[in-house]
Amino acid sequence: MDAYDEDSRGPQAPDGSAGTRLPEEPPEHHPPSPPRTGVAALSPRYQVAAALALAVVAVAGCVHLLMVFLSLAPANTVTKQHGQAVQDWVYPEFEQNWKLFAPNPLQQNIAVQVRAEVRMRDGGLRTTGWTDLSAQDGRAIDGNPVPSHTQQNELRRAWDFFAATHGGDNRPVGMRGSLSEQYLRRLVAMRLYRDDPTSREGVIQRVQVRSSTTNVPPPSWSREQISDKPVYRVLPWWSLTSDEAAGGVR
Amino acid sequence: MNGLSLTLSRGVARVTEAALGPYQSAVIRIGFAGTWLLFLLREFPHRQELYGPSGPWGWNLAKELTADNHAFTALLWSDGRLWFEFCYTLAVLAATALMLGWRTRTASLLFMVGVLSLQNRSVFVGDGGDNVLHLMSIYLVFTRCGQVWSLDARRAARVAATRARGERVPADRVGPVLWAVLGLALGTATLTGRFDNGWLIPALLWTAWAVLGLWWAVGRRAAWHEPRALLDVIANVLHNGALVVIMAEACLIYATAGWYKVQGSRWQDGTAVYYPLHLDYFSPWPGLADLMSSSGTIMMIVAYGTVMVQVAFPFTLFNRRVKNVLLVLMMTEHAVIAVVLGLPFFSLAMIAADAVFLPTSFLRRLGDLAARARGRLTRSTGGTVPAPRSPEDSTADHVGFTA
Repeated sequence: MDAYDEDSRGPQAPDGSAGTRLPEEPPEHHPPSPPRTGVAALSPRYQVAAALALAVVAVAGCVHLLMVFLSLAPANTVTKQHGQAVQDWVYPEFEQNWKLFAPNPLQQNIAVQVRAEVRMRDGGLRTTGWTDLSAQDGRAIDGNPVPSHTQQNELRRAWDFFAATHGGDNRPVGMRGSLSEQYLRRLVAMRLYRDDPTSREGVIQRVQVRSSTTNVPPPSWSREQISDKPVYRVLPWWSLTSDEAAGGVR
Repeated sequence: MNGLSLTLSRGVARVTEAALGPYQSAVIRIGFAGTWLLFLLREFPHRQELYGPSGPWGWNLAKELTADNHAFTALLWSDGRLWFEFCYTLAVLAATALMLGWRTRTASLLFMVGVLSLQNRSVFVGDGGDNVLHLMSIYLVFTRCGQVWSLDARRAARVAATRARGERVPADRVGPVLWAVLGLALGTATLTGRFDNGWLIPALLWTAWAVLGLWWAVGRRAAWHEPRALLDVIANVLHNGALVVIMAEACLIYATAGWYKVQGSRWQDGTAVYYPLHLDYFSPWPGLADLMSSSGTIMMIVAYGTVMVQVAFPFTLFNRRVKNVLLVLMMTEHAVIAVVLGLPFFSLAMIAADAVFLPTSFLRRLGDLAARARGRLTRSTGGTVPAPRSPEDSTADHVGFTA
């Protein structure tokens, strides 16, 4: 093994570029006792392959971290020029968002409420009162050491998704706007069939969703004054598809 | 110049001769796989609603979105109920296998497929915890995270002991079978066009599969010492690179969370922590939240402390002692968040990510404690205790035979 390495030094050293530099440990000064591992144990041909692998991994790791860093950083001169390259690298599998409660935490309770127009068994059409689905979630979370994603995230994030893909006039923006509308509709239909007594006795024809936004009251030790009145955003009535009306969402 | 090249050559020797941080990589493997396993079991009653074909985020909706963003998910290969149940079960089994370190590399691939399939199927039900697991499931594939505290390590030790006694080691049957099944699955998925939506994950799976086969083939011939050593070096380099990426990712999480908070008026005026405690979706114990937020001084200290720790953490890595103090603080904070904000899985995932920075001496003591506790348990039930495994076994000479 030692003989291999000794004659490998000569031809290797001059043309080794910075990226593929190999360890230049002088074997003759070493006591032969410890069995050598790593690149030192390889013959020159294999050392080149190992060095190449090391260079590839080092470059890939650095580029990846740089791309992730740029995707997390605020818009800047580099992302203005190379934003598309960063996006292409990071999406979809390395997408991330760590603005946890930042820059400011949410300071409002946003409740999603729904009412339905139900065709009863006797043929009559009945409009239910507003059901506060978020309040149901809140009750399910109270005293629960392991809240389910169905209670904590599903409705909350469905509404966020809807709000992010709709203008102030409640018109959808792009393909995602349409998807978020269908998602919210299917979600409230499922919840109504599960919990609303009137809906359970008939067939839901249409649903209407509204959000009720209430400021979290400021802490007792603060002198801030803010309104405690809820602000409503009322969406238009939506008709259910036949599958949704038949309770196909589970 | 000479000093520089010496440092460089030492560095190259270090990252090529061993997969560094065997305990750290094992603890994050157990941490992430365990978190995901607990999550899957927790959501088992709700699995249809969250990820099933007829859930609110219906199969067609998910199909339309992934056709646009090219995210990988096996769940959309079929809209059948049976396929869904199969995938969910596989995700549970893969998480269990990875946690135990059974066929660790293959388990990590299946774990990644399980995590990505479920999360990309329904992106709008996740939170920060899911995001951490998503990234780490991909990074873990590149690590040799089964060197210690795993069934693989135990098996390797047994093989070594058998060989040391001069006995014949029985051929491994499970490995080749697993590999063949995996290859069949990959081939079927490719030929039926299931891999056509995005190339990254399919390419990763195929490459890993090919390398596993190569590894096995090269390990069979005693004469192929050099190719085996080369593969070992490459595996070490990949592992060490991935470990750096995992650590950097944890730093990016804290840096992003911290630096963006600095800009927030609520973090500046010290009331920021009060608000999440009073959101209906994050207050499972309103009494506790009220108690914690009864004092403006405490709230301000917690808010400023949080920002300082998050911003400072990446820089403290240069000082071992300060780093360890901050690590304790952050793990404690996440444990508190788990209870007070009702985010147990997010907190577990973050604690697992923090654990990559734990000192080796602490982890080994932890391992000894766990081994002794298990010893007591198995003795009382009449089982046998396998000999504890020394860390030298794992890195020195046998490492070339386990992927």
